[in-house]
Amino acid sequence: MTILQVQNLVKEFDGIKAVDDISFEIEKNSICALLGPNGSGKTTVFNLISGYLKPERGKIFFNGKEITLLSPHKIAKLGIGRTFQNIRLFLQISVLDNVMLGFKYEKGDKFFSALFQTKRMKKEEKENLFKAEEILKFVGLIDKKYELAENLSHGQRKLLELARILAREPKLFLLDEPFAGLFPETKKTMVDLIRKLKEGGKTILFIEHDINSVMGLAEKVIVLNYGKKIAEGKPEEVRNNKEVLNVYLGKKYEQNP
Amino acid sequence: MDYLIHILIITGIYTILTLSLNLIVGFTGLPALGHIAFACIGAYTSSLLALNFGISPWIGLFIGAILAGFFGMVIGFPSLRLKGDYFALATFGLGIIVYSIVKNWVSLTRGPMGLPGIPHFSLFGYEISSGWSYLILVLTFVLLTYLAIRNITNSPFGRILKGIREDEIATLAMGKNVNKYKLIVFVVGAFFAGIAGSLYAHYITFIDPSSFTVMESFTVLLMVVFGGMGSLKGSFVGVLILVVFPELLRFLGMPNSIAAPLRQMIYGLLLIILMIWRPQGLLGKFKFK
Amino acid sequence: MIQQLFLNGIIAGSIYTLIALGFTIIYRTVKFFHFAHGVVFAAGAYFAYTFFILFNINPFISFLLSISLASLLGIAIDRFVYYPLRKNKAPNLVYLIASFGVFIFIQNLLQLIFGAQILTLRTGPIKEGYHIFGAVVTDIQILIILVSFILFLLTYLFIQKSKLGKAIRAVSDDPIGARIVGINSEKIILIAFALGSAIAGLAGILISLETNIEPTMGFHAILKGITASIIGGIGSIPGALLGGFFLGLAENLSIWKIQARWKDAIAFAILIIFLLLKPSGIMGIKTKKEEI
Repeated sequence: MTILQVQNLVKEFDGIKAVDDISFEIEKNSICALLGPNGSGKTTVFNLISGYLKPERGKIFFNGKEITLLSPHKIAKLGIGRTFQNIRLFLQISVLDNVMLGFKYEKGDKFFSALFQTKRMKKEEKENLFKAEEILKFVGLIDKKYELAENLSHGQRKLLELARILAREPKLFLLDEPFAGLFPETKKTMVDLIRKLKEGGKTILFIEHDINSVMGLAEKVIVLNYGKKIAEGKPEEVRNNKEVLNVYLGKKYEQNP
Repeated sequence: MDYLIHILIITGIYTILTLSLNLIVGFTGLPALGHIAFACIGAYTSSLLALNFGISPWIGLFIGAILAGFFGMVIGFPSLRLKGDYFALATFGLGIIVYSIVKNWVSLTRGPMGLPGIPHFSLFGYEISSGWSYLILVLTFVLLTYLAIRNITNSPFGRILKGIREDEIATLAMGKNVNKYKLIVFVVGAFFAGIAGSLYAHYITFIDPSSFTVMESFTVLLMVVFGGMGSLKGSFVGVLILVVFPELLRFLGMPNSIAAPLRQMIYGLLLIILMIWRPQGLLGKFKFK
Repeated sequence: MIQQLFLNGIIAGSIYTLIALGFTIIYRTVKFFHFAHGVVFAAGAYFAYTFFILFNINPFISFLLSISLASLLGIAIDRFVYYPLRKNKAPNLVYLIASFGVFIFIQNLLQLIFGAQILTLRTGPIKEGYHIFGAVVTDIQILIILVSFILFLLTYLFIQKSKLGKAIRAVSDDPIGARIVGINSEKIILIAFALGSAIAGLAGILISLETNIEPTMGFHAILKGITASIIGGIGSIPGALLGGFFLGLAENLSIWKIQARWKDAIAFAILIIFLLLKPSGIMGIKTKKEEI
């Protein structure tokens, strides 16, 4: 069953096509990778899917529903959770508060609930605090719960960003370079977490540079170059694709295979 | 002693203004200039209702605050789409437009001549004009404002405001309608500023546009930044220091023609020093982004 | 009647252009709203008053001294206030608020020294103006219009053709790239402040020949200057001219239908409209968008 459908997406900036007629589908409960060199349009595709950019042409469907022109917060509410290439944490507040900001409240986060400090607000807050701690335990950040997010190391920040979208319980995870800058141990933690998410029925699409990193994790990879899709398929197949190799290793490979 | 009570009343009114602006600037990170326009609307509404229609100041205060809140929506709705210094500029310009309208719509507001003879509040036939009785009135509203804003900020709603301050884009990704929250906070801040304006009007019993200039907006902004961005206690401390300290100048026997610009010079200098050395203010924890 | 309004619009437009010109040169290099520019404008007028009226110094020398001092004032503001902020890598908003602080400080300092009363640079009676096309224009007004056009041309040519001008544009468009090719951005910023502030001082002196000197003159000046810059396109030199005259004409021609005292409100209404509908201004200058 297809959870995400991207059809003929085109996005232009000042006349340059950052995304040039891209189409692909993501199967539910799969782990897929979006690959390509810097500037190939990967993050732009994420921004289009999550609603921060509107395409010049093309459509995006999530669970059969068209989401192309919806605003980012509405798309987030529908069940798509994303992280950002440059890590966007709420730096001057605590780790715990960062996660708490992910949760959906019934009425607890309304203005009048706050003004009158209603029982419902307190009840939902308590429940979410408990859930937040569970999530922090899951990613291994529970000891840092009162720490300000800006005091975390790079690897911890990446884990926190993941923890935050876990609070949203999304059906589709869009992770922008989840392994960038991580030490091997943290990277392994991240890979394990992604696998656990799949076991829990979730779908993950993540951006990566390096095709070797995705071996063994991604079931399908989509390769972009200069805004166009140049390959799609299982990692082993795509790895040997001539055009993909050209992109990554240059023309030299053609002469000396 | 009377003088001390007068200072405390003025401090109280500024505290309400500062708390209300702190909600917008300090907690939500919206650089709103021109906040005094809302106090102006509250003051003039309350006064005109009392003078022209004999409406009780209690009701006038409430209507004035509602109207101020309404203008918060009118001004906020278009401005909040703008970012950073453009938003600051827009709110600044809109604040001046309000001032200009109040100054020039002479048939409604008597323009620069102002509104004299504004009636006092009265309770059970007893007139609350000055001194202890007015101080208690003002402090009551200060307490109400403090409790309201404390509740608002110490809650899931308040947490979302902080999220907006830290990173709007990430807050959107959390499924929160950022524009809606910004607008609510802007309206609420305007509402309380309106209350402060009415309290001022029914105390001094005379208002004119010169009490609601851009400089006043800067003064309130300074109080927010100085006391501490996102710190309610800081607002109390900041206002107290910034109101009391210049009064000491007057005690040194300085004529007003020197004391007035000197006071402003100190305010200006403080803004500069704060921005360079401690942008989060005395008790604040958050810095501008 | 309308010819006079049109002429008044041109005169106002000339002054706004001068203010916007200096403001724009500075904005190009520092990329924030140097609000205190308004008070440099006022200081220019007060300096001229001090030298010419108080100390009776030869007008030409007074003029040169005043412009130099205004230029120095602008440089001092940058060194003492903005430079520390650059070292702290402060966000734009902090610069703006600090700039307000400088403005408030200097405007009140001027009031402290010179008092709140209205002063003038004029020593004799006002000379009668010439009648042209049904409107009356004085010597000084002609001077203002000429100076603003000449200065606009000089500034435009300087920015486009001269080596320093190109360096300013480099720092403006790509600060990192500029540093890589060896341009000292601090030096460029200094020059921008020197130049922009000198023009502000000049504008202040010109306007005081035409109207009066009072402590809040800087406030109105900078608000019109920023409005003109945004209308024309922030950071654009031709934009400063277009915006300045657009504002001057719109303000004054509207008096034909609306009473004169609403002029300020109209100017700010125009600012708001441009901020909301066309923030890139007439010249269509795109502001940097946040990267997601």
